[in-house]
Amino acid sequence: MPQRKPKVLAVVLAGGRVDELSVLTAHRPKSAVPFGGFARVIDFPLSNLMHSGLELVGVLSQYRSFSLINHIGIGASWDMIGRYRGVFVLPPYQGFGQSSWYRGSADAVRQNLDFIQFHNPETILIISGDHVYHMDYREIIAYHRHKDADCTMACVEVPWSKAHRFGVAEIGDEDGEVGGRVLQYREKPEVPASNWASMTVYCFKPRVLYDLLEANAREDESFEFGRDIIPRAMVGHKKVYGYKFTGYWGYTRTIEEYWQTSMDLLGVEPRLSLCRWGIRTNLDHRGIRDCQPLKVGEEGEISNSLVYNGCLVEGRVENSILFPGVQVKAGAVVRNSVLFFDNVVGKGACLDKVVSDVNVTVGEEVRIGGQTSAGDKPEDQASAPLVGSLLAGAPVAEPTGVTVLGWNNQIPAGMVIGAGCTLYPALGPEKMTRSRISDGEVVR
Amino acid sequence: MSPNNQEPLVLLLAGGVGSRLNNLVQSRAKPAVPFAGIYRIIDFSLSNVMNSDFSQVGVLTQYKPLSLMRHIGTGAAWDFTGRTRGVKILPPRTGARDSDWYKGTADAVRQNIDFIKAHPSPEVIILSGDHIYSMDLDDMLQVHRRKEADMTVATMVVPREQIKEFGTAITDSDGRIVEWEEKPAHPRTDLASMGIYVINTSYLLHTLETYRTDMDFGKDTIPRAIATDRVYAYPFRGYWRDVGTIQAYWEANMDVLRPAPPITPAAWGIRPNPEADGLPSDRCPARFIGAGRATNSLIAASCLIEGTVINSVLSPGVWVGPGAVVRDSILFHDCLVAAEAEIDLAILDKRVTVGARAVVGCGAEEEKQQANRKYPQHLYTGISLIGKGAQIPSETRIGRNCIVSPGRRVADFPHQVIASGESV
Repeated sequence: MPQRKPKVLAVVLAGGRVDELSVLTAHRPKSAVPFGGFARVIDFPLSNLMHSGLELVGVLSQYRSFSLINHIGIGASWDMIGRYRGVFVLPPYQGFGQSSWYRGSADAVRQNLDFIQFHNPETILIISGDHVYHMDYREIIAYHRHKDADCTMACVEVPWSKAHRFGVAEIGDEDGEVGGRVLQYREKPEVPASNWASMTVYCFKPRVLYDLLEANAREDESFEFGRDIIPRAMVGHKKVYGYKFTGYWGYTRTIEEYWQTSMDLLGVEPRLSLCRWGIRTNLDHRGIRDCQPLKVGEEGEISNSLVYNGCLVEGRVENSILFPGVQVKAGAVVRNSVLFFDNVVGKGACLDKVVSDVNVTVGEEVRIGGQTSAGDKPEDQASAPLVGSLLAGAPVAEPTGVTVLGWNNQIPAGMVIGAGCTLYPALGPEKMTRSRISDGEVVR
Repeated sequence: MSPNNQEPLVLLLAGGVGSRLNNLVQSRAKPAVPFAGIYRIIDFSLSNVMNSDFSQVGVLTQYKPLSLMRHIGTGAAWDFTGRTRGVKILPPRTGARDSDWYKGTADAVRQNIDFIKAHPSPEVIILSGDHIYSMDLDDMLQVHRRKEADMTVATMVVPREQIKEFGTAITDSDGRIVEWEEKPAHPRTDLASMGIYVINTSYLLHTLETYRTDMDFGKDTIPRAIATDRVYAYPFRGYWRDVGTIQAYWEANMDVLRPAPPITPAAWGIRPNPEADGLPSDRCPARFIGAGRATNSLIAASCLIEGTVINSVLSPGVWVGPGAVVRDSILFHDCLVAAEAEIDLAILDKRVTVGARAVVGCGAEEEKQQANRKYPQHLYTGISLIGKGAQIPSETRIGRNCIVSPGRRVADFPHQVIASGESV
């Protein structure tokens, strides 16, 4: 009987919040954050999977998962429906013996081993749902099999100055530009010995993964692939290989990075092309399939921007990304900004370097960001060390110059909001009585 | 027991050739002609049915049904999927006696009597898939029931000079139709039939089976029925266009661009079916790069604008190259307008390519009167029509009221200048 069951099972780690994204992840996990004028971050890994012919997928989800579950739906948007195709959202659960939240990415996978073992794959592909990139996973899987590796991790070159933020691997010369044996692996080292960063794309031999997860659960205090599982594999002398990825990798863990990665979509030769590899999203989510085409009014003007169906532009839009349903009224100017679904920018308002979450209404003559003040922040804040933990704690106000507006805010007419400000979601009118919010302020 | 046994059955007549739309209907039926960038004409009727909360629909096709069938798909775009919902395509069938093509609206319905009997419902609503409008069909149904009519005909007031293309009704003070004239040379009324009927199912079956020579509701059934039966007019007030001619089609598209537009597809709840094209990925947002700009236009997703777009409607995937200008035009999916080309007052079907520095629609104002020589009834207002997939060579100059047939290649252009009124 011909074997039609897929030999590769993909598991997407999509449960995390990423505190540095501040108010953008107040109500959704990082993977469900809108990106690219119509899509969500997770559309990139899911479209990668679809184009790679990998259509049996588990999605591990924990933080505020409604937005993600709603977005994935039945998986039809990525053709992941059929007898041997499917995308399964796997939330934490109560069990007969023990019950706990996912205590980390490795724990999340371990708690769902029954799902994985049920499908009895030959290779398990574990990927993060948080990153923006185009990749054909068939290549890393082929390399993994060719090397008969226990674990193969995709790595990408990052600037040396940022390597300390990642898990970095020293990769042997075995296969030159394709990859090689991982000689040494360090998670977020203070002094990195390599600038090949793990992309959180791993191929595992199932047996090896099961053993590593069990040992991790038995003996460790922390349960992360990068921090615990890969070092365990190294210590245990498993065959760990590094696969060198040379394309664009959007690691959007801060507001500044989110904004920069968005700006990388613009221009004549964008660093990240949405169309070339082809992104699919769930057109039913927020009903974007039903939007009529962008309407540019008599006085409307758009330059160097991405604008999706459902927008109405009667003012000026420059270097910006408008998600479906955004309205820019006459005389308004939107510059260097990313406006999520259904923002309304009132007459004569001016926005510069703003990331605005869904359903924000900006009143007439409001000024946000840009030249509202002389700028009392040093320019090179982006390279300053990160403040606070990556895993827990209150959101850190990013003094980056990007002003971020949480969802469902109404900015009253005439208000002036500085650069680098953060407005928490759905602030009541009593929080909006001031005429001015200064640079870098956090309003909650 | 059906949970919706009070719900009418809807029959959508989508077989129309629409021959005056010239080569826009060479490879598709009129209801499948694209409209306002991302829609097809039939989306308006299908969405009206959906928004009226009716969920049992048969679509009668005949002429070039393939793109229509692909577009309708499972009907999920209009929420017609589910156990008690459905949209069925009803192509003409050959059988022992019913072995001919549909000879008219009544004949088409008669040939699908088995479908009507298989979906028991108190009324059948018959409408056309050819029109641009927004209408609450449930309101019409309620009026029909209140009047205890056998049949109700939707009507609207049209200008006197146009009425000779319609069936016309003269009503009494209760709205009952007392006289009917089909396409009158000397109209006595300005109340025109929109080709939308609510008919009691038992009455419909009786009529179709008794009067087997009736081929058309407007020509045969209604004139006979008004003498003996309760036939009422339902007055519709709102925007309604037949878009049966190139000029009317162009004007209706331009209506979407007006400052307070009479057509607002999204606000009307009109649903397109973006998945019907079977693309490997979704259309990404429209991109404006370099000096690209647009004013007073409708620009669909995945257009790439490097030139200038003025007063135009662009379907998804259109590229307007650097220095190119598109004005007062309608461009269907995936047209390519190369650098410094110019499109003025033209309709380009899908995947037309216009070479660099070519001009489509050149010539002075008075040349707009110079009708197309082959089809003077189709093109006479200045609009030029470029068929699907045609390739216009660089530097070519195409005048007013010109026709380029679908699929014409560079080698098919005999001269660099196509004078106004000529065809390729």
